Amino acid sequence: MLKFVACHAMSWGSGMRRMILLAVIFILIITATYAKESDQDETTFNDFTLNIGDRIDVGDYRTELIEIQSLKDGLAVMRVSKVGGALDEQRAFLQNSANDFNGGAEGDGITLTVTDILDDQSAKVRVEYKESLGTAKKRTSERASRAPDAPILSVQKSFDKNQIGVGDEVKVTVTVKNIGTGQATNIQAEDLPPLPEFSYIAGYPPKIKETLNPGESDSAVYVINAVKEGSIRVPAIQVSYTDSKKNLKSNNSEPFNILINPKDKAELVFSLRPSGPIIVDGTGSLNISLFNQGKAPATRVEVEGEIRPSEGLEAAGLDKSYFEILPGTDENYSVQLSGKKAGNYTVTLRADYQGGDGAAVQEGMTEVVVLEREYKYLYLLLIIPVLIIVAWSYKRYREYKY
Amino acid sequence: MLNVLMLGVGQCGNRIMDAVNKEAFGGGATSKLSKYCLKPKFPSRVETLAINTAINDLKELRFTTAKDRLHVPNLHGVGANRNVGKQAFMDNRDMIMGEIEKRGDFDLAFVITSTSGGTGSSFSPLLINELKRQYRNITVITVAVLPFREEGSIYLQNAAFSMRELMDLEADGIILADNQYMKRFSGDIASAYDKINSMIAQRLLFLIESLDSEMLSVTDLGDFKTVMNGGLRIGTLGFYQADRKNTSIRDAIENSLKPGNLLYPSNITDDAARAMIIVQGSREYLDTDEITKEVEKLSACAGHVFKGIVVKKGYPKVLSVFALAAAPELESIYAQAARAMQDEKEKRGRARKQLDDAFAHIEDLEEIY
Ligand SMILES: Nc1nc2c(ncn2[C@@H]2O[C@H](COP(=O)(O)OP(=O)(O)O)[C@@H](O)[C@H]2O)c(=O)[nH]1
Ligand SMILES: [Mg+2]
Repeated sequence: MLKFVACHAMSWGSGMRRMILLAVIFILIITATYAKESDQDETTFNDFTLNIGDRIDVGDYRTELIEIQSLKDGLAVMRVSKVGGALDEQRAFLQNSANDFNGGAEGDGITLTVTDILDDQSAKVRVEYKESLGTAKKRTSERASRAPDAPILSVQKSFDKNQIGVGDEVKVTVTVKNIGTGQATNIQAEDLPPLPEFSYIAGYPPKIKETLNPGESDSAVYVINAVKEGSIRVPAIQVSYTDSKKNLKSNNSEPFNILINPKDKAELVFSLRPSGPIIVDGTGSLNISLFNQGKAPATRVEVEGEIRPSEGLEAAGLDKSYFEILPGTDENYSVQLSGKKAGNYTVTLRADYQGGDGAAVQEGMTEVVVLEREYKYLYLLLIIPVLIIVAWSYKRYREYKY
Repeated sequence: MLNVLMLGVGQCGNRIMDAVNKEAFGGGATSKLSKYCLKPKFPSRVETLAINTAINDLKELRFTTAKDRLHVPNLHGVGANRNVGKQAFMDNRDMIMGEIEKRGDFDLAFVITSTSGGTGSSFSPLLINELKRQYRNITVITVAVLPFREEGSIYLQNAAFSMRELMDLEADGIILADNQYMKRFSGDIASAYDKINSMIAQRLLFLIESLDSEMLSVTDLGDFKTVMNGGLRIGTLGFYQADRKNTSIRDAIENSLKPGNLLYPSNITDDAARAMIIVQGSREYLDTDEITKEVEKLSACAGHVFKGIVVKKGYPKVLSVFALAAAPELESIYAQAARAMQDEKEKRGRARKQLDDAFAHIEDLEEIY
């Protein structure tokens, strides 16, 4: 292409030719500059999955994964050095943020980014560099061959429902999995169920195999019963184990929150309304109403009445039974009372029923007064003379008014 | 049992009769209350009737039932004019007598009136005549009240003429009460009236009770009539009530005869024609010997004396009834009345003469227009 341009230029006049030649040369220079840059200083990158101790070599740069500092926070520690000792730095890498060394990939150095932390043993690392440095290569460390000896147990605890009401049974599943590379022995799970909101029913304490090979898992199920409403924090399960070198290790599940809803139940209330004081040998009535102010139906309601003292006041039909009283409804009945002896009596009604969470009892009470027969006349003794006096005085007043 | 009719005629008569009713309720301050609860307690069957032409006088009464107040309608009242009063009675005679007749038969009637007013003094003589005509065997006693002397010439004149009319009647006697004489009991007129009225009422009730009593030594209506028929057929009443300090029956009798306890001023030893002494009290106070001695003492000057003894729980009470042979106080009223009438006549004549003298100035003149 250069020759073609030059041929072309020669077929023109000498002044013009000089101009064109200069321009062509200028263009050539620029193009050449560009060509040289894109050919020799192109940046490139590679992704590697590193286990702890693994290394990436790029040119004279050595990058080694030292430690996963925090799986949760996304922190991994790496050591970066350059052959010849100009750079040797150990640094914590925050996941997904680029770290430049010696000016980074844009300069003469490299740029490192932890793109993913796979577990507490491995991470994905991206290295960016100039092609001029050659090709990045992964060097598996010797320590990597010891990896099968590192058991890691992941621990999980879960409830079989996330809506729990008081009285509900909850199945708790505890799962322990060896996600490490070595055998875990002496596995001991220690679980504290949330008290006092729950009570144990069966399967507690959960039994986990004592030994788990890498990749193996075991789970245990136990059943508890929610007994109290409220929002509670379910504590973590703690698992301890030892690796082949008898190092004691432990792990735990994440604690979580759960809400226990109050249970729907029936709630019966009595209201007893006597018609008023009864006079000896007279009768009165007692109106009884049984209202279900709860949320669940009350079933097999048995009402039983009792009068104290047991002699002197009689009532027929205090006892009643209802198959069901729906929430928000009431049942009414009326009982005839007959007084035999003056005094104060207590009428107590007791309702036994099934109310959603088992048997329940409700009592209602009222006072009934039986008055001495004479009282009736005492009233009259008072009222009649007053009436007579008033009437008489008025009559007299009229007689003397002129 | 006596059937007694009590007629209060005119304001004075009405009020004395109201006092009788009050006394029947027990008298005193409590009677105001007892009016509303008790029945008036009369010793016999007593019917009371207040008669008046002035409705306001009837309204003033307190212890007389409404049906016992009889209003006699008369256009302008009677204005102390006895002639107008007589006309009003005659116009309403049937109505008045019918009202009395409704109350049944009577043995004894008291007609209570002032002698000096218009209504009472003119109605009473006519009323007494009618009663005598209608009830064959009735005894009619007039209770006549004499005026305060300073009340004026018309009252004096009325008293003089009505007393003459009352004495001319075929009635059975007059019991005199003199306001002038009893005025000394109290300062102001209103309370003097109340006091006088209750004195009269008390004596009348006691009298009725003793006439109707069936105890020990009895006085009856006949005895009373005999006493009242004596002398001028004018009498009066004396009364004494003993107390704890002195229960002597002798003293009580003597006290009842004292001028201070009489309704009309008279000197018993000189003026009494007949008398009746009625003694009441617990048996232990009624010493018969003492009573007899006292009665004999009185008989010496007063001619015949009836005695009655009523045993009733309490300190001795004595009522003395007199018929008088002389009434000097009454005579002086006539003298005063005559003088007052004479004065009035002269004054009128003088006034007329003065006016005539004044007329003399225009005697020969004609009206000029
Ligand atoms: N004792 C007494 N005298 C009375 C009473 N009221 C009026 N008088 C006298 O009665 C006279 C008048 O007569 P009154 O009865 O008022 O006239 P009448 O209503 O027209 O008959 C006067 O002399 C009064 O002093 C009274 O209450 N008691
Ligand atoms: Mg008057």
